Amino acid sequence: MTGAAQPLPAVAAAGPGLRRLLSYLGRHRVAYGVWALLTLSYVAAFVAVPILIGHAVAAAESKLPDAEVARRCLWIVLVTLLRAGLRYYSRVLVFNLARDIEYELRNDLFAHLQRLPQSFYLRWRTGDLMSRCVNDLGSVRLLLGPGVLNLLQTPILFLAVFAAMLTLDVKLGLLVLLPYPAFLLIARSFGRAMHRTNLRLQEGLASLSNSLQETISGIAVVKAYAMESANQVRFEAVNRDLYRRQIAVVRVFAGLGPVLSLLPAAAMWLVLLVGGHEVSGGKMTLADFFTFSMYVYELTFPTFLMGFVVALVQRGAASMQRLDEVLCVEPSIADRADLVPLERLRGEIEFRQLEFHYPSAGRAPALRDVSLHVPAGSTLGIVGPVGSGKTTLASVIPRLYEVPDGRVFLDGVDVNRIPLATLRTNIAMVPQDSFLFSMSLAENIGYGLPALDRERVVAAAERAQLAKDVADLPHGYDTLVGERGVMLSGGQRQRTALARALALRPGILILDDALSSVDAETEAEIQRGLGEVFAGRTVILISHRISTVRDADQIIVLDDGRIVERGSHDELLAGGGLYARLASQQALEAELEGEEAVA
Amino acid sequence: MTAPAGVAEQDSLHEEEALGKAYDARLLRRLWRYVAPYRAQIALTLLLVAPMFALELAPAWIVKTGLDQVIAPSIGVSGALGAGGAASTAAPAVPATVDGLAHGPASIPPLVWLGILYLVAMLASSGLQFWQTLVMAKTGQLAMRTLRSEVFAHISRLHLGFFDRMPVGRLVTRATNDVENVAEMFSAGVVALLTDLLKMVGFAVALFLVNAKLALVTFLVVPLLAGAAIVFRLRIREAFRSVRVRIARINAMLQETVTGMKVVQLFSRESRNMRDFAELNAAHRDAWVMSIRYDAALFAVVEMAGSLSVAIIIWYGTGVAAAGVLYVFIDWMRRFFLPLRDLSAKYSVMQSSMASCERIFQLLDTEPAVRDATPRRRPPAAAAAGPRGAVALENVWFAYNGEDWILKDVSLRVEPGEKVALVGATGAGKTSIIKLLTRFYDVSRGRVLLDGVDLRELPQEELRHRVALVQQDVFLFSGSVAENISLGRSDIDLAAIERAARAVEAHGFISALPEGYQTNLHERGANFSGGQRQLLSFARALAHGADVLVLDEATSSIDTETEALIQQALRVLWKGKTALVIAHRLSTIQDVDRIHVLHHGRIVESGRHEELLARRGVYHRLYRLQYETQKTVAGAPATGGKG
Repeated sequence: MTGAAQPLPAVAAAGPGLRRLLSYLGRHRVAYGVWALLTLSYVAAFVAVPILIGHAVAAAESKLPDAEVARRCLWIVLVTLLRAGLRYYSRVLVFNLARDIEYELRNDLFAHLQRLPQSFYLRWRTGDLMSRCVNDLGSVRLLLGPGVLNLLQTPILFLAVFAAMLTLDVKLGLLVLLPYPAFLLIARSFGRAMHRTNLRLQEGLASLSNSLQETISGIAVVKAYAMESANQVRFEAVNRDLYRRQIAVVRVFAGLGPVLSLLPAAAMWLVLLVGGHEVSGGKMTLADFFTFSMYVYELTFPTFLMGFVVALVQRGAASMQRLDEVLCVEPSIADRADLVPLERLRGEIEFRQLEFHYPSAGRAPALRDVSLHVPAGSTLGIVGPVGSGKTTLASVIPRLYEVPDGRVFLDGVDVNRIPLATLRTNIAMVPQDSFLFSMSLAENIGYGLPALDRERVVAAAERAQLAKDVADLPHGYDTLVGERGVMLSGGQRQRTALARALALRPGILILDDALSSVDAETEAEIQRGLGEVFAGRTVILISHRISTVRDADQIIVLDDGRIVERGSHDELLAGGGLYARLASQQALEAELEGEEAVA
Repeated sequence: MTAPAGVAEQDSLHEEEALGKAYDARLLRRLWRYVAPYRAQIALTLLLVAPMFALELAPAWIVKTGLDQVIAPSIGVSGALGAGGAASTAAPAVPATVDGLAHGPASIPPLVWLGILYLVAMLASSGLQFWQTLVMAKTGQLAMRTLRSEVFAHISRLHLGFFDRMPVGRLVTRATNDVENVAEMFSAGVVALLTDLLKMVGFAVALFLVNAKLALVTFLVVPLLAGAAIVFRLRIREAFRSVRVRIARINAMLQETVTGMKVVQLFSRESRNMRDFAELNAAHRDAWVMSIRYDAALFAVVEMAGSLSVAIIIWYGTGVAAAGVLYVFIDWMRRFFLPLRDLSAKYSVMQSSMASCERIFQLLDTEPAVRDATPRRRPPAAAAAGPRGAVALENVWFAYNGEDWILKDVSLRVEPGEKVALVGATGAGKTSIIKLLTRFYDVSRGRVLLDGVDLRELPQEELRHRVALVQQDVFLFSGSVAENISLGRSDIDLAAIERAARAVEAHGFISALPEGYQTNLHERGANFSGGQRQLLSFARALAHGADVLVLDEATSSIDTETEALIQQALRVLWKGKTALVIAHRLSTIQDVDRIHVLHHGRIVESGRHEELLARRGVYHRLYRLQYETQKTVAGAPATGGKG
């Protein structure tokens, strides 16, 4: 490939990906060095065998004694044994290296994904990420194993064989060489086609798996609205498209082998014509002719293989490029150089004229001109219509999203300069959707603890009014909750998420509408229990219910990303604004119910 | 809700660990159903093996002819190498026509003629090979396309309970990776193995025909090779099994972490996750070590056997055969060994194909617990004629698991056009009633009736067109807003979509989107607020024109202002329809005609709001709680709390 005058577009495009891959290879340079030596020895043994065969044939040809022929045949056996040993070790070594690098790469991918901010996950589909981490990593593994093995071994082998042929007979050697430059041409055009078709195949696979994933995730809706047949039609279209992409790949692949096999065929043809002529004319011995044809023969399989290796490398490079696209995304939320080494947070929060945009273009800012001071240990209530920015405001406190410098301060320090570990261990958030992991209930509650602490888990479960449910579960705290916690009811999931946050014993506790699926009776119990929890902590309560926030030290009302009102419950009621309106609406409902009750 | 917990979870985990045989006649027979439509193509590819084999024999034979009949005589070698010189130049068993063709017309020098033959043979062989590969791959992929569609259709048919136990990722794997694995069987597995086997037998026979004695001696290495192949193959199988299991675990963890990344980061679980992941990852890496070792050993042994046979041919053959015969032997022996070289690869392919095949069929064999009655009974004419939308539960018992009754002897009737609410504490069984009404599950005992017809006798499609579910957690699909309302129903056009959206007050925020109804939604519908999502689900239900609505906690997580909007929309939505509302908040059930109170799986109270309050039972308690909370908000004195 490198022999081509201009770099292939495919390879050029895959440049950064391959550079990254090379840095992984570099870490194992000693092992690769040993492997290269093994390969060279293997090639030497490889080249020796046809010479020994020729030698043996020469003995037979010149009617040497049987013992001599047998002796020379024994040499073939010995060198062959050596060759097998070398082959074994070089193969084992390079394949194990491929495994090691796959291991490192997968670890790095996982670590990187964990570092990427939430804004990344808004843009990238889970199915796409999974397809990269599974399918593309698999292609890279093939590039590293058989790919690297043959990339080094085969060219050296070719060179050594040609050198051997040239020493036997310069003219015939050069002639036999003739067809092989065509290999570069074939590899180049097939390589391009493979790159193109494979890229399209990967896209097809990704879109098929997305389509499936979505149907399964939304299966309740699919069933409730009898979408099955309409869905099937959509799926058939994706499926048909995938088939076309697969056949396009196959067409290229199926052509490569036969076309490549023509090269050694042409070489053998030349040996037969020219070599045969030379032997007839007495310019060449029959044994040399034999050796020559053995060499050409030995090149058949490597030539054939090399074609597929080119394909493998192309695909691997394309896949590495796709991995690189993920690895290249800067973890914009990371500890910075100008870090302030805080370990505990007292819990003072301040916003200074914060304006916040979600990354997707063309949308109005989610927060504008938010200035707010929350003293340590106090409770802040946030109310406001749906979509007014309540969740966004809470999410920037633990730095789930990027905010500009000088806008958000915790304990007087810019949030961007506080170690992430400090932020995440001191701030516990109960998000709206209570995502649980497919582990035991205890592990879910203790999710944020450095180690599973049974006592703390049980205490947190009691606070969250979950303990009584636990008794009914088949294995108590050791019950596996299933994927996303499907074994629990909605209310149980929310209370588990609450317990998970409480178990952290955080300095700042954020409850984002955390009890919407919990029934009124249980909510009241939980709130009674929380009074104790709130003491000494900064608490942020997001709710659409006035009752939830009324006891807060400070309440803000958000509307369209702005703070439109602030104050205590009584002040806001007296202010007669949005808050008062919300309160009177809710009161009206209550009164209505009351009147009916009286009636 | 106590769905089948521990045991099922464990079972599905182990399922991934089962790794079958490389050959399973039962599976292949079943797979044949998908391939059968293309049997002509299959026959063709197998028929092509004969000419392709002949063309593989040709090159060496041509060289042999050149060596023995043109080159050797010209340098005065009698043809046979070595002292004996007793062997004939051409084997008697070879048909004369083949040798005749080798001589060619007299006007062309024999070497040139042989050269031409050689080229023709190579070109023809290449062409045939291309064609065969393509036909085979197309056949395989066409069959797999059918299989994939069937998997998808089957997944859509399965009852909801199935998805509680089956992780999404695993199901996606069935239709993607597993189907790909089965497809490999066509391109590199069963057909390649069959072709290879035929060719190996062919080469062996051809060698015996050319020189039986030499062939016999040469084939001495075959038992050695076969022994090595069998031993390594078995070992590779074991090693491969643990690799599969471990990669499945890795991918499951990856999927879960990516999906729950927000929680991972919020609870700074990264380093512990990393440790767990690295452990799984290392186990997977280490599982490969043995597999690599045996694979490399097999490779080395096969190569060695090939060279050993060359040594034998020369050592033994010099006394008994001509140079050309030796050449033929060396060439054909190599071709004989070639398939063995990647036997282990093909074996692995077969094995993973079979394992995938088994898993796919297992999925296809999972009977949907909820399915249409066969033969489909049309609802009795009497029931169809009456007013549409009467719902009834008759002595319904229901459990997800054995005798863990969630609903105990529940009976209720909803007349056409009536609005009924179900209330009760968490776990009282409200959600289960929804699942029965929409027939996500079937009742354990008793009946659920729609217009007097048992749901189990109603085609599911008809049921779902008539009963619309409005869920609290609105699932949005990728695609446009319009598509999320019509949900693929072609008879709901854009005008109808807009009409529905306007009616439920969703038109405002939809038209404010950058591309209005054509705006594409992200996965997880991240760019809509809860209230907006709720209104979208109303529009969805309205557009679909069902006559029975099942509203699941439809207004429970909404702020007061939006709630007023939603109450308004709700009135539009359920006008003239039968509605069953499941709500936590008592304020959302102001307008209903009748309320049923569920307590521990039984209906303990039924009646109108006032009646129930007067009864001072469970409802009264639930109500008081709600009321107490709200009256304090308003700062108003408690006037009516006590009824």
